[in-house]
Amino acid sequence: MSGPASAADRLQRLLVMLPWLMERGEVPLGEVAERFEMSTDAVVSELELVAMCGLPPYVDEMVDVFVDDGLVFVGVPRLFTRALRLTAPEGFSLLAAGRAAMELPGADVNGPLARGLQKLSVALADDAGPGGSGGGGADDTAGVAIDLERPPHADAITDAVPDGIELSIAYYSPATDETSTRSIVPRRVFVDGGHWYVDADDDRSGERRTFRIDRIESAEATGRIDEPEPTLDEPPSGEVSFFDDPALPRAVLRIGPSAAWILDQYPYDEVRDLSRPRRWREVRLPIASERWLARLVVRLGPDVKVIEPASLAEAAERLAREIVANY
Amino acid sequence: MADRVERLTNLLALLLETIEPLALTQIVAELDGQYSGSDASIRQAFERDKAALRSIGVPIDTIVHEGTELAGQTRYRIDRGRYELADLELEADEMRALQVAVATTRPSGGRDALWKLGGALDDDRAAVTAVLPDHPELPTFRAAVASRSLVEFGYGGERRSVEPWGVLLRGGFWYLVGFDHLRGAKRTFRVDRIDGAASVGEPGGFERPADFDPRDAFPRDPKQIGHASDDGFEALVRIDRVRAAAVEREVGSDCVEARSDDGSIEVRVPATNLPAFRSWVLGLTTHAVVLEPDEVRRDLLDWLARSIDDEAVRR
Repeated sequence: MSGPASAADRLQRLLVMLPWLMERGEVPLGEVAERFEMSTDAVVSELELVAMCGLPPYVDEMVDVFVDDGLVFVGVPRLFTRALRLTAPEGFSLLAAGRAAMELPGADVNGPLARGLQKLSVALADDAGPGGSGGGGADDTAGVAIDLERPPHADAITDAVPDGIELSIAYYSPATDETSTRSIVPRRVFVDGGHWYVDADDDRSGERRTFRIDRIESAEATGRIDEPEPTLDEPPSGEVSFFDDPALPRAVLRIGPSAAWILDQYPYDEVRDLSRPRRWREVRLPIASERWLARLVVRLGPDVKVIEPASLAEAAERLAREIVANY
Repeated sequence: MADRVERLTNLLALLLETIEPLALTQIVAELDGQYSGSDASIRQAFERDKAALRSIGVPIDTIVHEGTELAGQTRYRIDRGRYELADLELEADEMRALQVAVATTRPSGGRDALWKLGGALDDDRAAVTAVLPDHPELPTFRAAVASRSLVEFGYGGERRSVEPWGVLLRGGFWYLVGFDHLRGAKRTFRVDRIDGAASVGEPGGFERPADFDPRDAFPRDPKQIGHASDDGFEALVRIDRVRAAAVEREVGSDCVEARSDDGSIEVRVPATNLPAFRSWVLGLTTHAVVLEPDEVRRDLLDWLARSIDDEAVRR
């Protein structure tokens, strides 16, 4: 345990530890400590404390537990034989984690996860009490549905990770508005903010790059293999920090209410309300590429006004003219 | 002074074991000497303990009985049936799959939930990881869906009273789907835009339609949002070679009306929601041209003209 825990937190942990110990009867102290993320000393002192609990006249007799020679023994189970029911956040977390995992490559609709989730859904629906009408109907989600919108090449790319299979991909870049062909070795696949990404070694740049999987238009094995190094196991950051780069140039836009969605979609440094026009706002955001931002400005049309840089306003106007020229 | 965990454990045991609900005076007598001091400080210590037990999810019932020697006093007990986790009867492989799922998304509270079920966090690296956005109201909404309780919250500057039918994660955002009493219709709310905490009504407050499925709650395709998918107002768009494959994948091969030798395709797509359609076509920049109908072409050219004419942009 890191740092002093509150009495409630300590009790909570005891209440999951005791039923588990009672079921096992006899467990090495080190195993208990590792499982519940505590030091062995902390396990011993918590168990000694609980062994002293009891109600008069049966003081010391409530929980029959003792530690000896590196082993934890539990005698006759009396109280706290079953764990406390799941709290609302815990139930939600399990359901959400399970539903998300069902959306990932390789999930089997008849597999163990699906069966486990079904049991969990029933238990959580029963939790509803007399008013709950349980599951039933077309909805087998127990109220939580997750749609990760897996792009077509996600499976092939995920499958390439364990062995380091090199893939030749056609990749559309909104920064250049072009499709390029390159060879990548996928290293890690992750989902964040509604998009699928792959971190991969990219032959073109000679670097590890992050690609959006929905922009990969084709993926084929080249026949080459570059096995992952076991040390590459850095914990997944889950964040695409690309836009955080302070070296990126910035643009200032004024946006109307119908363009407010860009604040959900793209990272920005700051935003402030304008007194007029009413409900308009001014936003400062990093420019990944001018071509990309020009495209955004053209999409927003009258709902946006470029304050700076002037080159962006020109680029947007140029792009609008190019599109009109097609008509 | 004894460790507070000891007193909490004893209080929990007492309230679980008792058949009759106990008043504070009885509790103090049973826990001989563990609550001490003035009546006020005993009351205060007991209230803190009660709050601590409730904070970890212990359901403490309070009962006010009349007509006994304890008339008017609040009495307490814990219903073992509601305290104890029901046995989910998970097979070993099912438990393992749940552990992997939690390792994949690392939701807050996931580890503690696995512990309660007798599992543990699986440290094996998951093949794919997913970051699920978190929001404090999500567990409340899910529980309200299960218990069929009305929820009330601020949204867009108005107070909404909603029959919650389900929550859905799509496109990186959580949505609450349900029947909105203010609008008298089914509505979808972005959970991260809800103002403050939601309040939850009594269980059994409504019936959910039997055929409801949150995954069908709103159209996947934004070009159809706000309209029934079958009131088909469509446009024909030519997509050049560069974006043809990606667009065909997006809209589906059924929508391809023609293919040319130069690699371009013509697709028929919904344009009922004109702003969403415009945004989609312009996102394809010079790679897409609207062929028909004329009114959509004119709308688009008018829109572009306003990007070019600086005076118009300035309003």
